[in-house]
Amino acid sequence: MTNFDLAVQHAAERVRCNLQAQDDAWGTSGWTRRRFLAGLGMVGVAALGSQLVTTRAAYAATPSTDDHTLIVIFLRGAADGLHILVPNSANLGLDYLRAVRGDLVPGSADLVALTGGWALNARLRPLYDQLWSTGELGFVPAVSTPGFSRSHFQAQQFLERGGSDTASTGWLDRVLTSLGPGTTFRAVSEGDATPMSLAGPEPSITLTSIEDFAFPGWDDIRPASQEAVLQLYRDVGGTLGADVPNTITALGTAAQIQAAASGSPNYPDGDFGRALKDLAKILRAEVGLQVATVDVGGWDTHTEEQNELDNQLEYAADALQTFFADLGPTRRQRVTVAVMTEFGRRVEMNDSGGTDHGHGSVMWLMGGGLAQSGVFGKWDALSDATLDDGDVAGLNNPFNVLGELVQKRLGAGSLTTVFPGLDYNPLGVFTTT
Amino acid sequence: MSNTVHATVSAAIKSAKHTAAAPLTWDPTNHLLARFTFGPTASSRAYVQKHGAGAWYQRQLELAATYRGYDGNSHVAAQGPLLSMSPYDVREWLKEQGDEYGWDAMDQLTLVTLGLQAWSSAQLYETLVDFFSNHLNVPNHNGDVWNTRHAYDRDVIRQYATGSFTDMLLASAKHPAMLIYLSLADSTKTAVNENYGRELLELHTVGLNYTEDDVKNAAKLLTGRTIDDNMHYLFDDYIHGTGPVQVLGFTHPNSTATGGENAGDDLVRYLAAHPDTAQHLARKLCVRYVSDNPSTSLVNAVAKAYTDNHTQILPMVSTILRSTEFWESRGKKVRRPTENLLATIRVLGIGASNWSDALQTLHWMTNDMGNCPLDWPAPNGYPDVATAWRSSGTLLDIWGTHLGLVGGWWDGLPGAKVGALYGGMPANSGDAIKRLTKRLTGMTWSSKHLAVLQTFLGESATTPMSKSVLRWWGEPLAAVILDGPHHALR
Repeated sequence: MTNFDLAVQHAAERVRCNLQAQDDAWGTSGWTRRRFLAGLGMVGVAALGSQLVTTRAAYAATPSTDDHTLIVIFLRGAADGLHILVPNSANLGLDYLRAVRGDLVPGSADLVALTGGWALNARLRPLYDQLWSTGELGFVPAVSTPGFSRSHFQAQQFLERGGSDTASTGWLDRVLTSLGPGTTFRAVSEGDATPMSLAGPEPSITLTSIEDFAFPGWDDIRPASQEAVLQLYRDVGGTLGADVPNTITALGTAAQIQAAASGSPNYPDGDFGRALKDLAKILRAEVGLQVATVDVGGWDTHTEEQNELDNQLEYAADALQTFFADLGPTRRQRVTVAVMTEFGRRVEMNDSGGTDHGHGSVMWLMGGGLAQSGVFGKWDALSDATLDDGDVAGLNNPFNVLGELVQKRLGAGSLTTVFPGLDYNPLGVFTTT
Repeated sequence: MSNTVHATVSAAIKSAKHTAAAPLTWDPTNHLLARFTFGPTASSRAYVQKHGAGAWYQRQLELAATYRGYDGNSHVAAQGPLLSMSPYDVREWLKEQGDEYGWDAMDQLTLVTLGLQAWSSAQLYETLVDFFSNHLNVPNHNGDVWNTRHAYDRDVIRQYATGSFTDMLLASAKHPAMLIYLSLADSTKTAVNENYGRELLELHTVGLNYTEDDVKNAAKLLTGRTIDDNMHYLFDDYIHGTGPVQVLGFTHPNSTATGGENAGDDLVRYLAAHPDTAQHLARKLCVRYVSDNPSTSLVNAVAKAYTDNHTQILPMVSTILRSTEFWESRGKKVRRPTENLLATIRVLGIGASNWSDALQTLHWMTNDMGNCPLDWPAPNGYPDVATAWRSSGTLLDIWGTHLGLVGGWWDGLPGAKVGALYGGMPANSGDAIKRLTKRLTGMTWSSKHLAVLQTFLGESATTPMSKSVLRWWGEPLAAVILDGPHHALR
């Protein structure tokens, strides 16, 4: 049995203990469906869910309106950092960049000046206008370590496992473990499947729509159906043995979230906008959300990068700007968004108006907890001498940035289990307040 | 666990311990059909029970040869009239409709693929087509392959799914859809595009056993492979980069531009036959058909079959079927969302009342669950292990499809007649539960699990049918049975 299997078994065991507590509370011997239904009347899902949640008290925490939330947005496909955060001055290597990239380097009309010679792709101006002056927008360039190859699949896994090719759990799962008990909705993945970063023993909820998160069927059949499904999975191992009880347990909180106030109607269509709209709704419901992930695809710009990437950035800025506006200036002080990608792209443009796989990438940081707006970390002016096999070198370790974030914002404590082997040197991006 | 490979399928079955992952139980018939088809049906169970697993496999090989394209179900095939056309002809057809561009051929490919997975008699073939579509993935519904993706399915994947992997790989390395998707069509000697070169090594052949120099050399050697104005393959020697190359153990002087196409084919043949490719393909096939963690010795045996048979695909399949490990792996796979949906349709015996509507329904359903066939957006294809599919939202979606399919809620798909699934008149409520569980999951449930369903109905097992809530609750009962682990695992 692998570590992962053991971890899943452990998670299933915890849920099973929860069910045992439920049996104890309701009495196994005298319990029947009729009594169950009679007790609940026709209230349905919400009531059943809250009953189950109550019995989780042994290890569930009470949500607090002081809690912080980390939202990790993964740009799948390797977003071209040099087209997002441009080293736009001679001392950062602009001349070299222009020489090997030609038209792919944005001109001044397509840039917003930041600080120290750096400039932002103007498609992200909505975020600049909204967050920069209030100290809520930061970037880290040249993000990588030697462990990242130029393979999408290896690099994504390496990042999500927290600096390992073989760890059986993801770094966010280990963050949750270090934080101790949490609520059913402490960790949410927006998407079709739980990402590697949340793989492991800590329960999490994966969904594509909080509004649709309900058990099927009509009211007089649903509670009994849910109970029967729970019972059928009671001795099942593997992922389903953990996920089925976890899902059914979450239905009550989901109903509570669904009943919370609607937010902004301005989100752009598409998966990313919808995911952020969901998360804003979950945050407003105050159900103890600590960690959330969103995957956004479409960044692998081997051809015609200019249009493709600019469209992606325009959409991302629209979605994120709406999200922060929806949260409002107070609530977003408790929410930090980290945007990352598996690697950056080759400095030189290829013959298709695109860029091939590179190394150092750019991380974006937004919302609460930044020390200030700015560009953080080391940078070497681009030149033949400073590139790593034609690519931006890895000067800033992503795990130093993420480690500082979870330590200062979530109170994760020691990072030795979250990022094993990390020589922790924070860049000073975040504050604890 | 024993890893012996036997001479015959029946010898392998005889050698296996009668074991399964709970709550599934040892059952060679349902195991064979749960792995090598998109789900058992009443008639396929009867066939295997009558003729045996070995005979079933031979029959499936005949059907694979007979129905190599889309003819495994003629009603389904009729929904894909564009699928026989060339990329050029699809474009001309669209122009006749007044469009310069359109997704029609890609849509038809999705519909026909889903329809054949649900209703083709050549089920083994469809599982192999699905496997290799993902192994050499070119995402359907990717705008750039709007008039070439269907031809890729027909001329590359379906053409060679039971043949030689070398032939399939050679065809893929010249197919417009692959060349467009992984940017090889845009790669030239003056500015090489490495996209295809890397994935050819990492995903299609040897796996993560290459260097950056191997990528650069492979990409350079393959320059010149592009498409003409009619969206058909063209080798353009003008853009081929010459000069010696080395990729892993392969070297070529590559001295002339006109010889560049043959030199590239030599590289593709070398890579297809590479021992790391044999390992890579063998492991993935074992993950597909056996378990998420197949033993090294089984993978080695399957890889050896590939190498000994000059990269033929079927000897690998046959090796798996003749292994003890396969027959001891029942219950070790979790059905992915679309597999669960298709297995539900098949076991309920649902046909289509309207083929176009039925296939459209399957399309949006699988799309909603993030598992529409051929649509995985990255070049590595859909993942095939349970840990990659964990999702509370998808579980709720799947349970919704069970209730809706039984009840006939959706266009084109008539509901199941629960009364007919009992296979005769049940004596009472308890007998009805026993009959329905056996019919839907192929197995006799434990008394503990039967009791859960009895509690669900809220009546005693001896309740006569005339007084049973099953007069109204037959459909929800069937749905709960399908929601359970007996159907979720395979």
